[in-house]
Amino acid sequence: MEENVKIIGFACSYCAYKASEMAGSLRLKYPEGVTIIQVPCSSRVDPALIIKALLEGADGVFVAGCHPGECHFIKGNYFTRRRIYALKEMLDIFSMKGKLRLFWISASEARKFVEKIKEMHKHLRESKR
Amino acid sequence: MKIGLFLCHCGHNVKGTVDVAYLSQYFKDYPHVKVSCDYPFLCSKPGQEMIKEAVIKHGVDRIVIAACAPSLHFELFRQVIKEAGLNPYMLKRVSIREHCSWIGSDPIKNTKKALKLIKAGLHSVWHAIPFEEKKVEIERSCLVLGGGVAGLSASSFLSQMGIKVYLVEKGGELGGNLKALKNIWPGEKSASHILQILISRLNKEYVDIFTGAEIESVDGHFGNYRVQLNVRGKRKELKVGGIIVAIGCTPFDPSLKRDIPYGRDRRIVTTLDLERVSELSLPSHPRIAILHCVGSRDETIGRAYCSKICCMNGLKAAYDLKRSYPDSYVESFYMDVRAHPRGGEEFYEKVQEKGVIFTRSNVPEIIPKKEGILLRGEDTLTGETFEREFDLVVLSLGIGPPEDGKKISQILKIPLDKDGFFLEAHPKMRPFDTPIKGIFIAGGCSGPKDVEESITQGRAAAFKLFSLINMGYALIEPQVATVFTERCSGCRLCERVCPASAIVYDHRSRVIRIEEAQCAGCGLCASICPSSSITLTGYTDAQIIDEQRALL
Repeated sequence: MEENVKIIGFACSYCAYKASEMAGSLRLKYPEGVTIIQVPCSSRVDPALIIKALLEGADGVFVAGCHPGECHFIKGNYFTRRRIYALKEMLDIFSMKGKLRLFWISASEARKFVEKIKEMHKHLRESKR
Repeated sequence: MKIGLFLCHCGHNVKGTVDVAYLSQYFKDYPHVKVSCDYPFLCSKPGQEMIKEAVIKHGVDRIVIAACAPSLHFELFRQVIKEAGLNPYMLKRVSIREHCSWIGSDPIKNTKKALKLIKAGLHSVWHAIPFEEKKVEIERSCLVLGGGVAGLSASSFLSQMGIKVYLVEKGGELGGNLKALKNIWPGEKSASHILQILISRLNKEYVDIFTGAEIESVDGHFGNYRVQLNVRGKRKELKVGGIIVAIGCTPFDPSLKRDIPYGRDRRIVTTLDLERVSELSLPSHPRIAILHCVGSRDETIGRAYCSKICCMNGLKAAYDLKRSYPDSYVESFYMDVRAHPRGGEEFYEKVQEKGVIFTRSNVPEIIPKKEGILLRGEDTLTGETFEREFDLVVLSLGIGPPEDGKKISQILKIPLDKDGFFLEAHPKMRPFDTPIKGIFIAGGCSGPKDVEESITQGRAAAFKLFSLINMGYALIEPQVATVFTERCSGCRLCERVCPASAIVYDHRSRVIRIEEAQCAGCGLCASICPSSSITLTGYTDAQIIDEQRALL
């Protein structure tokens, strides 16, 4: 049977979402199980939303924001970094390691974005087996 | 609720791998969907007409367009919706090209994914609320902090454009660091002449100059700032539309570096001292040393950055001294010569041709002796140590952050970088902006700058502010955070994290209030609020949860 891995990605509209648009324009291929939700800033992503997604059947969640120091709102991604770090530790305890990832993607890094997604997808597919 | 769903084939781009006809048929019976149809090119004129017609004919009140990426044709579709008589915020764009048909090649998988994406779009549009862009009146005036080169350059532009300028200078007179200079490289232009030109360009009708004045507090938002000034002990209140910060930089104080006996020996001077004195008492055939990079690129004093302008100052000092004392021996000790301005490299060559010796070394050890000053160091090109005596040692000073940087940064709530200079919103795209709308930075306070750059920056910041103020009104981005005060516990977490300082704590009612005009719409407060009393309109929790549920 074919494994259907579902990944929800939250992408900052200033960087990672633009990178995802560019990835499409460059016809870069990535698994169709990855779907992206646009957020104004990676710091908008409430940990509750991530937990909700995982409880409702997502195999993995990623949050993609601007590189440290490049946030449009100056310090939003620093909050994201701390928050995701804490949440990751919590998920590890519940043996949900590797289900949550944080990527730093600038608007021009479409290829890096796709590589990261593919790697995450591969990892989740193998652990699902 | 009546939703109109429009799918675009985009020629073969979408239709090639996504079964668009099936999707439009599938969504015909979806809850709240009134119209569902597909078209080869929605961005074409007939495509636009089709959308307008659906609004008029079927009374559709919200629209989902499944086509290319949202950033493409953004204004076009918004305009179409507006012309059809709908609020532009009632539109949701779903990207089934960049995020679906172009990233996979299997038609079945792609169609499935497009179905999920469109579902998410429909669920999201359920939560759409019509927004009106609010207009607020703004003051046609501005505050310029700092009467140096950048401040004067900004003020002259703004006053000439008929904007009232309040020019606030801490010192007794205008001019800033330019006052301390005799002449300026290149072309040996007289500093006082440049200062005169800058001051004469102020349109006196529109400029109020406050010398010996400092700001005490600032509140309000873009268009309506209330500023408390302290003018020589007297308080004064101003209302301004925008603020330009041009408080300049400070030259490094060499007495801070312990191993330099500056101030204890008259034979050790700085390039700034040289500008002040007209006659130096030197013996015949004087031996003069110029030390570059004093207080620049020096991690022992916490200044790892290059001060950029001190190389030119050192070169100019060497050139001037060699010209005034042709019989002298002038030696420059440099780390690297970074003669970056236009014509700088040529000037460097000219100084070398003049007979100035250049020795590559770190700032050497300075040992004052009775008959002369001994310099001891290592020639970093040959690796040999040297010991030489000089009659005069000139320090070319690095540039430090503004004196009042911390204070101003706290009052205006704009960030400083690790070295104490003001931080721009983006180093390349927004070099004059701060995260707060209506506050701009210019000149030396955002990093070492020479006169030419400061004039350019002052002008540029003024132009940016002018283009905002000249609109006459400010449009408030409607997608801002809102607070349910009933649920607010007054913990003030959001106040601490808000990058735009848009959150105000009301001490009387013990809840927070959001200054809509100032809110940048990042949603940080919404995600940090422990009682979920803040929501970011357009990206509410319920909306995102519905969206992700549809995607799973």
